[in-house]
Amino acid sequence: MAWDDLDARRVAAVAIVVGAAVGAAGPALEHTLVPWRVGGFRVVDTSRAGPQPRAEAAETRHEFGTVGVGATGSHEFTVRNTGAAPLTLSRGATSCSCTVSDFEASEGGSPEAKKLVPTGESTRVRVQWRGKGTGGPFRQQATILTDDPRLPEIVFVVEGTVVPTWKALPDVVVMPRVSASTGGRATVDVLTFGQEPPTVGTMTIEDSQVAQFVSLSSEPLPEAVIAAESAATGGFRLVVDVKPGAALGPLRCTARVVFSMPGEVIAEIPVEGTIGGDLVLAGPGWDSSRQALLLGTVSRSAGLRTRVFLTAKGPHRDLVRPTVREVVPDSLRVTVGDGSPIGTGGVVRIPIDIEIPSGSRVVNHLCSQQGPAGRIVLDTGHPDSPELTIPVCVAIGP
Amino acid sequence: MHHEPLRRSLLAACIAGCLTFAALAAAPERGAGVADAVVEKFRERNGGVFSDWSTPQAVVVVTGELDGYIEPCGCTGKENQKGGLSRRQNFLRALDASGWPVVAVDLGGQVKRFGRQTEAKFQSIVDGLRAMRYAAVGFGPGDLRLPAEDLVAAVAAVGDEPTPFVSANVGLLGLDANITPRFRVVEAGGLKIGITSVLGEKEAERIKSADVEFAPAAAALERVAGELARAKCDHQILLSWAGPEETRALAARHPQFDVVVTAGGADEPPLELPSLPGGARLVELGHKGMFAIAIGFFADTGRPVRSQRVPLDARWGESEDMIDLLAAYQGKLETLGLDGLGLVPIRHPTGRRFAGSVACAECHQEAYDVWKDTGHATGLTTLEEQRPRRDSDPECLSCHVVGWAPQRFEPFEGGFAGMKATPQLAHQGCENCHGPAAAHTAVERGDVRASTAERDRLRQELVLSLATPEGKQKAVNNCLECHDLDNSPQFDFDTYWPQVEH
Repeated sequence: MAWDDLDARRVAAVAIVVGAAVGAAGPALEHTLVPWRVGGFRVVDTSRAGPQPRAEAAETRHEFGTVGVGATGSHEFTVRNTGAAPLTLSRGATSCSCTVSDFEASEGGSPEAKKLVPTGESTRVRVQWRGKGTGGPFRQQATILTDDPRLPEIVFVVEGTVVPTWKALPDVVVMPRVSASTGGRATVDVLTFGQEPPTVGTMTIEDSQVAQFVSLSSEPLPEAVIAAESAATGGFRLVVDVKPGAALGPLRCTARVVFSMPGEVIAEIPVEGTIGGDLVLAGPGWDSSRQALLLGTVSRSAGLRTRVFLTAKGPHRDLVRPTVREVVPDSLRVTVGDGSPIGTGGVVRIPIDIEIPSGSRVVNHLCSQQGPAGRIVLDTGHPDSPELTIPVCVAIGP
Repeated sequence: MHHEPLRRSLLAACIAGCLTFAALAAAPERGAGVADAVVEKFRERNGGVFSDWSTPQAVVVVTGELDGYIEPCGCTGKENQKGGLSRRQNFLRALDASGWPVVAVDLGGQVKRFGRQTEAKFQSIVDGLRAMRYAAVGFGPGDLRLPAEDLVAAVAAVGDEPTPFVSANVGLLGLDANITPRFRVVEAGGLKIGITSVLGEKEAERIKSADVEFAPAAAALERVAGELARAKCDHQILLSWAGPEETRALAARHPQFDVVVTAGGADEPPLELPSLPGGARLVELGHKGMFAIAIGFFADTGRPVRSQRVPLDARWGESEDMIDLLAAYQGKLETLGLDGLGLVPIRHPTGRRFAGSVACAECHQEAYDVWKDTGHATGLTTLEEQRPRRDSDPECLSCHVVGWAPQRFEPFEGGFAGMKATPQLAHQGCENCHGPAAAHTAVERGDVRASTAERDRLRQELVLSLATPEGKQKAVNNCLECHDLDNSPQFDFDTYWPQVEH
């Protein structure tokens, strides 16, 4: 009815205005009840009567170039009081490897570790740092608190590069999947920062069992690689070879390399990886620790479509042309596509499409006592692994 | 009936009120329920956030370089450490609660190490990123070194939920396998934001994984740039896992990206984002996921972009969802056990075996009594009391029990193998500093016959003396194996030694 519409519009208009007003009043009301604390800034007290101090720092960032790991450095920043009242400075927060000195009584500060800077005068603030870690870009900061209402804190930043004695790129030799049939090779570039280029001495694998099938050697590092690393003076390429026939499973050991430049240095570089077979499954739902395809509970009305990949490497990879021999539950439709090489061709990738059509019958193969695992059995064409069974954990529910 | 128009009116009033409240609400500064004192303490320590921000049209939150630090270890007081997924989720929720449209993106680099624990951790982190509704995630080199079967399982789309990962030049199982898209365009606050990621040439060369295919970054961006241009994005973001120099070169070649994120910076990101010659903002993230960088887009033409370095400290509180996720991760480690994690005990450099601290007390009661009152004597308890408990985590255990290699997270032969098998080796005991003492205790008890010279030699091998500079240095180096920069940044031998002196 027209009357109702008009009434509703009036009510709506009033309600919107009231709602907006209440909404706006919320924060305002809160601000009157509790101190205003939006964000992190300090509220500047501009009402303070009388002369004010004024802190000015011409330089707040210092680029120190390079320092060695563990070496310390320091820089003096200057804070000048250009105001009309004495300026008080105190220490604020610093990054963990930075310290601020000159604030103790013995260093010209007050017993409360504060510094008083008379009008028109300057004071020094010394920031010290220690080159930490394994080297690389370095940035730390130190904060000084002031009683200048315009500038309550000054953040001094020191930046540069920490240079180690040596570093390995990457810092761990990782061999994600070495074929047991062909073995594998990985390299790591060891860059050095000594007075002279390194002379490589002994190279050993610490674990005697692993040493039976892992060997180390070194090659000269291309000049361009050394030149690309700031402050590097030399280096070598460490080559890790895994021989064919290594036992399947995880590979973990440490490569110990002794070199001189001219002082003797011992570099210990972890080697980590997996020795695996030539055929590996990958895709959504594939659980490598359980070695099973987890499809979960699928609604019979919705069905499911998913794709996994079989990857084949080693000398027989091009012979791998899987065909489906057996499927449990039989409602699974499995289609194997054509293989294609990945990248440079060391691995062949074969798509396997799995479909549970809508309307499939209800079954339980959730890999439990009540529901034993389903499976997809493939004839692979690989001479050493002619059959591949893929356990499937799936239930088709109503 | 007249009730329906009235109901609509009241609904309109509520919506108007809520929208107005949201527009005027305070900028985010804390996680839900965090006390004023905590916020004030960490504002003092690590700086305030969003102090000069009004409500942005949209805010892009950039994270990355987590390096495996899914959660601060907490062994020296979690509040002294920054980072972790739990605080990160609460930070994102705080932005959302302020009515800010959020787009979260991650450079990549979730993990650095290799092995079963790293695989499990990567899966948990990716689950966390999905739960936080990340719009785009790139790949770091540690991620791409994982075995392809685990990487693909974690990264691939789950049912109808698309993968959060994008990369212009990385193809898991080949560039044409289409497991991850090359870019993504999202809308937030009425803005269209295009995002892509690349892995730099140098890093790609070092990975050498036959299961992952790489295209040159510059050429890959050329292809993606055309598609992003056709999408008419208001902003374009490039996540570049490359050193700053290589990233700058890519940015110069592709000036359409107005936010460029790089890897390889310093431990701490800068306070202000530097501008590149083409006008793009260059984002550094620091290491170990201790900071998030927020970039706000504003309608204000005078200052259309603002940035904020956000320390992920205790002011953001804990997220129960992420605590649950961490508990599931820890549960998986417990289920797998040392065997399942592929941790085969390694030989101790001395070749000797461990006896346990109680055996030491048979003769060295005084020293044992001192030790018993130190934090070392409850090292494993500390892990049990973490939330979630972390006493099955090799990365924690290695410094909280006897007989592990601290920096390798592996047990020595005869080292701690669980409370059932080796309760005598729980906690940070005598032999972690003095060396394995099984042979020494066996001789002293008379269980094994030995000559006086042999007995003296075994005694001497366990002596750690501070009387000489060499001896003290050996002791300091030993302490630093666990009291390292991550877990004990304030460690100073001369300050700490009196607390355990014996």
